Amino acid sequence: RYPTVEKRAKVFNGASYVPIPEDGPFLKELRLLDDDKDFVERHDCCTHINKTTIYRLSVGGEELWPVVAFLKNGMIYASVPLVEQTLSPHPPLISISGISQGLELLFDIQGFLYSSQKNDTGLNTKLSQLPNLLLQASPFGTLLDANLQNSLDNINFASVSQPQKQPAWKVGTYKGKPQVSISITEKVKSMQYDKRDIEDTWQVVGAVIFKCDLEGIMPNVTISLNLPTNGFPLQDILVHPCVTSLDSAILTSSNIDAVDDSAFSGPYKFPFTPPLESFNLCYYTSQVPVPPILAHIHFYNTGPITQLEYKGSFGQLEKSLLICIIGQKFPKSMEISLSGTITFGAKSHDKQPFDQICIGDTVYVKLHFSILDYTLTGCHVDQHSVQVFAIRKTKTSSHWKLNSKAPAPVTYG
Amino acid sequence: MGPLSREAWAERLGAFRASPSAFMAGADGEDLGRDLLSDLRSEKLSEQTKVSLLALSLEYPAQLWPDVPAAEAAATSLLDILVLLPPRPSALRRPLLLAATTVLASGGVLGPTSGASCRLLPLLLGLATGRDVGRGFGPISEQRPLQATAYECLRELESCKPGLLGGFLGLLRSQLGQEGPIQPLSLLLALALRNTLVVQSRSGPGLKGLLMAGVSSTGSGTWDWTLVEEGHAHLQPQAPCWPAAEEGACGLAMLEPSPEEVRELRASVAQLLDTSYLLTPVAQAQLLWLLGWALRGLRGQPPALFKPQLVRLLGTAQLTLLHAVLALKAAFGEALFTSQDEALLLRRLTVAAQHPALPLPTHLFYLHCLLSFPENWPLGPEGEEAAPLLLGPQLCRGLMPSLLHDPMVLLSRLHLLCLLCAEDEEEEKGHFQNLQWYLEELLAGLRQRAALDGGPRALATLCFQASYLVASCLARQPMVLTPLIQGLAQLYQARPVLAPHFVELLDRVGPELREPLRVVLRQEVVSRPGRDEALRWHLQMLAKVAEGDAQSATLSFLQTAAAHCAHWGLQEALLKVCRALLREGGGAGLADLLQALARQLEDPDGRDHARLYYILLAHLAGPKLGVALGPSLAAPALASSLMAENQGFAAGLIVQEALAPIQLSVGPQRASGPLPVLQLQVEALEPVYSLELRFLVEGQLYAPLEPVHVPCLCPGRPAHPLLLPLRPRQPAPARLEVQALYTTPTGLTCHAHLPPLPVNFADLFLPFPQPPEGAQPGFFEGLWDSCLPKGAESRVWCPLGPQGLETLVSRYLEPFVVMAQPPTSYHIAIRLPPNSMLLLRLEAPQVDGVPVALRTDDWAVLPLVGDYLRGLSVTE
Repeated sequence: RYPTVEKRAKVFNGASYVPIPEDGPFLKELRLLDDDKDFVERHDCCTHINKTTIYRLSVGGEELWPVVAFLKNGMIYASVPLVEQTLSPHPPLISISGISQGLELLFDIQGFLYSSQKNDTGLNTKLSQLPNLLLQASPFGTLLDANLQNSLDNINFASVSQPQKQPAWKVGTYKGKPQVSISITEKVKSMQYDKRDIEDTWQVVGAVIFKCDLEGIMPNVTISLNLPTNGFPLQDILVHPCVTSLDSAILTSSNIDAVDDSAFSGPYKFPFTPPLESFNLCYYTSQVPVPPILAHIHFYNTGPITQLEYKGSFGQLEKSLLICIIGQKFPKSMEISLSGTITFGAKSHDKQPFDQICIGDTVYVKLHFSILDYTLTGCHVDQHSVQVFAIRKTKTSSHWKLNSKAPAPVTYG
Repeated sequence: MGPLSREAWAERLGAFRASPSAFMAGADGEDLGRDLLSDLRSEKLSEQTKVSLLALSLEYPAQLWPDVPAAEAAATSLLDILVLLPPRPSALRRPLLLAATTVLASGGVLGPTSGASCRLLPLLLGLATGRDVGRGFGPISEQRPLQATAYECLRELESCKPGLLGGFLGLLRSQLGQEGPIQPLSLLLALALRNTLVVQSRSGPGLKGLLMAGVSSTGSGTWDWTLVEEGHAHLQPQAPCWPAAEEGACGLAMLEPSPEEVRELRASVAQLLDTSYLLTPVAQAQLLWLLGWALRGLRGQPPALFKPQLVRLLGTAQLTLLHAVLALKAAFGEALFTSQDEALLLRRLTVAAQHPALPLPTHLFYLHCLLSFPENWPLGPEGEEAAPLLLGPQLCRGLMPSLLHDPMVLLSRLHLLCLLCAEDEEEEKGHFQNLQWYLEELLAGLRQRAALDGGPRALATLCFQASYLVASCLARQPMVLTPLIQGLAQLYQARPVLAPHFVELLDRVGPELREPLRVVLRQEVVSRPGRDEALRWHLQMLAKVAEGDAQSATLSFLQTAAAHCAHWGLQEALLKVCRALLREGGGAGLADLLQALARQLEDPDGRDHARLYYILLAHLAGPKLGVALGPSLAAPALASSLMAENQGFAAGLIVQEALAPIQLSVGPQRASGPLPVLQLQVEALEPVYSLELRFLVEGQLYAPLEPVHVPCLCPGRPAHPLLLPLRPRQPAPARLEVQALYTTPTGLTCHAHLPPLPVNFADLFLPFPQPPEGAQPGFFEGLWDSCLPKGAESRVWCPLGPQGLETLVSRYLEPFVVMAQPPTSYHIAIRLPPNSMLLLRLEAPQVDGVPVALRTDDWAVLPLVGDYLRGLSVTE
C-alpha cells in the first residue's frame, strides 16, 4: 500500500476515485480462483469478456479499475496502478504507464519467488523477504528495479564508494578470473496430424542465456550467433535491454516472412554490456521443420478404463497412466511400440480431468523429451567472437501427436 | 505503560494488518499511532521490530494519524528519532526518511507553514547533494544509499506538490555531471523538469533562469515555495496525455520558449537521455514517459533527441520499455516516427504479441496496444479499438485465434479477427472469404467443445462470449451470422442444458442476431416430443423465444409437456411460458390450454395460477394484459419472478389513486326536454382513456345519477360538453360529488376525486310545454289560479342593475316567458321537476328594481325563489 500514491489518485481521479479495499474483500472480489459449476450470470455472462489480465472490481457498489492481476502456481498476483486522469470513461490501457509497470512488478515478484526455490520452506523464506525488497525496489510505489534479486544483493552489498557511471542495474563489480558461460536452449512444440489436408505445425523457441563474469564497470562484449549453411534464419528476435544496438535485419526478421534464400541468416551480432547476474540475452524463433515423430494414441474424456491388455516393446510402462517411460536413451531402432486393447467403462461426469482437444474421436499422444548438446536450428555461438569457457547446448522438445483418423483443431496458416 | 515486547508488537501488527478498519474500531485502535512513535525511541526493541513498525507507518499513516495536526506531530517525532540515532550503522535511517516523507505527503501537511516540512526538505536536499547535514549524520558507508533515498523522497514530494523543486533544477542538473547515484537523480530531474514546464505554461517565470540557477541560490535555509504557489500546483486531474500529440491542451499549454531556453532545455534532456542506459529498464521507461510528456506540445523541441534511444529500444522484449516507446509514438507521432518507423514498430509489436518466450499477460497487453495503436494518421473514430491501417492480414497471420489458446488470448485474438473481417469485406473478396472460413471453423470448434456432455462450464461460457463478440462486431454480415445462427441451434439441440446461456445471449445481442435466432430456437424446441429429460430447459428457452400468436406447434408442445410436468419446478416453468404467451397477447388456443392446466396440474398453486391466467386472458384486452404481466412498474429492480409478478398485478390490476386528470365545470343552462340536464365542460390535464365519471348527490335530493363515459381525452384537444340528466326528488339545489375512473397511456387504471360540482336552483328550471293554439291567453291564468289554496303566494322585490328589466329577462328567464308586454309586464311559468311549478308576474319596473308577484304550488321553494331573484342582479 502506498498512501502517497493513493492521495494522488484521489486528486487525479476526482469523482471517479475508488479507494482500494482491505486485502480480504479485495481478493474475494477478484475471484480468480472461483470454479462455478452452475450458470451464474455475473461471471458466465457473454458480455463479461476479459481480453486482458486487467480487471474491474466492484467495491461497495463502485468500480475499482484497473486491477492488474493473474494467477500463477496457485498464487494470485495483483496490483492497482495509478491513473493520472479521471477514470470515467476508462482511458485506454495503453495510455496508462502504470499498467506495464504493474505487470512488470508482478512478473518479477513471481520470478523471484520461484527462482531456485525447491520447497515450501524456501517459498516462505522468500515471501518473508518480500516486504523489505519492495521497500527497496519500489519505494513510494515507483518501480525502480524490476530485478528483485538485485535489490536483495543491493541491501547486502554495502559499497563504500561507487564510481561515477555505475549502472543502476549492476550492483557491484566482478573481481576474478574472467569467464563467460553461454547456454542455448531451444524448445520445440509440434503438432503432427499425419493428414494430408492439414499441415503439421510447430514452434521452435530459442533462448540464449549468458553469465558473464568479467572485470570492469562496463565491459563491452559482442557475440555472434551463427547458423549452419542453408540453415533456417532466426526470427522474432527479442533482446535484453543491455544490448546496445541491433542490425535492422535482426529487427525486422519475423515469422510472417517467407523463408527463402534472400532472408538474412546471420551471423547475428549482439554487442552488449552484461549485468552481473545470469540473463537471457535474446529469444528467437525459427521455422526449421520438425522431423515427424510417429506415435500412437491416447484416450481422454471417456469413461474409466475397465480392462487393459498391453505389451510394450521398450522401457517401463506405468500402468495406471498408460505412460511409457523410455528412460535416458532411445532404442537403436528409434521405434517404440505399445500395443494393447482397452475397454472403456461408462463415463461418470464428475471430477474427471477434462481435455479440450480430445473431443469425439480426436485423441493425441503427448511426448516430452530433451536432447543435450543439440539445437534443432543448428544455432551456435561463434567462439571466436568472445572468449568462451563453457558452452552447453540443450534442446527440449514436446510433441503432440494427433490421431489422424479424426478431425483436429487447426491453426491458421 | 512501558514498551511492548517484540512478540506483543508482532501480534498487534498482525491483528492490525488482518483488518485495519476492525482494529482501529477496537479498544486498542486509538493508541496505536502514539504507542508506535514512543516505542520507536525505546532502546529495548530490536531494529528489526522497529523496521516493521516503520513499515506499518509507511502503509497506513492515514489510519494511524488521521488528521493534519497528528500527522505533523508524527512527522516531527520521526525526524527527532532520525537525528538522535547514534552515529553507527543503522537499518532505521532509510525507513525513517521514507516514513517522514509519507506522513507529510499523505497527511496533507506539506507546506511552508509546517515545521516538519521545513526541517525535512533541507535535510533531504542536503543528503541528496552530498553536503554536510551536520552532526555526523550516519556513518560514511550509509552515505550512498541515503543519498539515493533522499532523491527518492524528494521525487515523491515533487509528485505530490508539483513545482516544489522547480527552484533547484539548476542544482540537480549540475549534480547529474558529478558522482552520485544516477538513477534516482535522473528520475527526479525529469519529473521536476516536467512539472516546471506544466507550471510554466500556467504562469511564467523564466525557464532559463531555473535551469541555469547555481547551487548558491539554495544555500540559504529557507525553501522557495513560490513555484508551488504560483502554479497553484495542487494536483489537478490531468486531461489524458494520450493520444493527442497535436492538441497540446493536455495541461501543457503551448509554450513558446525563447531560443536560449530551448537550448538549455534541450541540453538537459540530452544529458538525461545520454546516460539513460545506466538506468534499470523500468526506470528508463519512466524517464521516457516523463520526458515525452514534458516535451510534448513544446514548440521548437524536435523530438529527434529520442531517436538514438529508439534504435536501442526497439529490439527489446522488455514490457515497460516497449510501452514507453508507444507513449513516445503517441506523444510525437509523425515528428518522431516516419511511416517506415511506424511499420517497424507495428511489426515489433506483432512479434511481441505472440512471442512464445513471453508470458500470457504480456501477450494480451500487446494485443490491446495493437488495437489502440497510436497511428500517425488514424482513420477511425478516436478511442475505439480498431486494427491499424498498416496491420494487414499478412502481419496478423500469427495472431489468429486457435482452440488451443487460453480463453483470454482466444477472445482478444478473435476480436482482432473480427475487426479484420469487418474491414476486409469491401477490399479483397478472396481474402475475406479465407478469414471468414477460418472464423467459422473456429466458432464451430468452440461449439463442439461446448456441446460436450459434462464439459466444464467455462467452455460453454467461452463459446457464448465468442458468439457475442462476433455478433456485435459483424452484425451486418449475413455471411457470418447465418452459419452462426445455425450452429447455435445445433448446439442447443446437442445440449439443452445450456439454455441459460442462450437466454442471456438473446438478451444481450442486437436484433440482427436475436430475431432470427429466436425463430430457429423456437422451432428447435417445439419440434421436440416435449417429454424428454431436458424439458426443464426447453420450457425455460420457450419462455424466452415464444411468440405472441401462439402457433399450434408451440401449443401442442405445451400440451404434451403438461402431462410430464410432474413436479412443482416444471409446472412453474410451464406456466412461465404461458405467461410469456399471454403477455404477447395470447391467441386462440391458449385459453383452452390454460383451462386444461387449471384442471390438470397437480400443484394447487399451479392450478391457481393457470386459472388466474385464464381469467386474465378472458377478461382483459390485449394491451391491458401486456401491462398487467409486463415488467413491474412499481418495483422494476426486483429479480424474483414471483415478486415481480405480484407487483405487476398489483400495478396492473389494482386501481391506483391519482390526482385529478381533468377539470369539470357546469356550462350554460339548456332548459329543454322532460328533465333538467346539466351541461358539463371538460378540460383534460393529461391524456386519459376509458374515462368513467361517477356522480353522487349529497343528501339523496335527486335519484342516483348514471355515470358518464368518455373514450378518450387529450390535453389541448377540444372536447364535447357532457350531458348529465338530473332526476330531482325535490326541487332543490345540491352538490354533486364527482369521481373519475380512467386508464393512463401506460395502461394503469386510476381513480381520482374531482372537486364537487354545485347544482344551482336555476339549473332545475324547465319550461312548460307550449299550450295549444288559442289556449294561450288563459294558460297562465289557469296555472296561476291552480296554485292556491295548496300552494303559496308572495311578493318579492327584485333589484335591477343598470341594464334594465328587458336584459335581465332575456338573459335568465327567456325560455320560460309565457306572455310578454315589454317593457312593462312579463308572465313567466317555470316547471320545477319532479312536479312543482313557479309562476312569476314581473310588473312595471321602478328606479332600482321590479316588484314581482309569485305563486308556487310548493311552499318549500319560496325561500329559494327569494334568494334567486335577489341574486340575479348580483350575478351580473
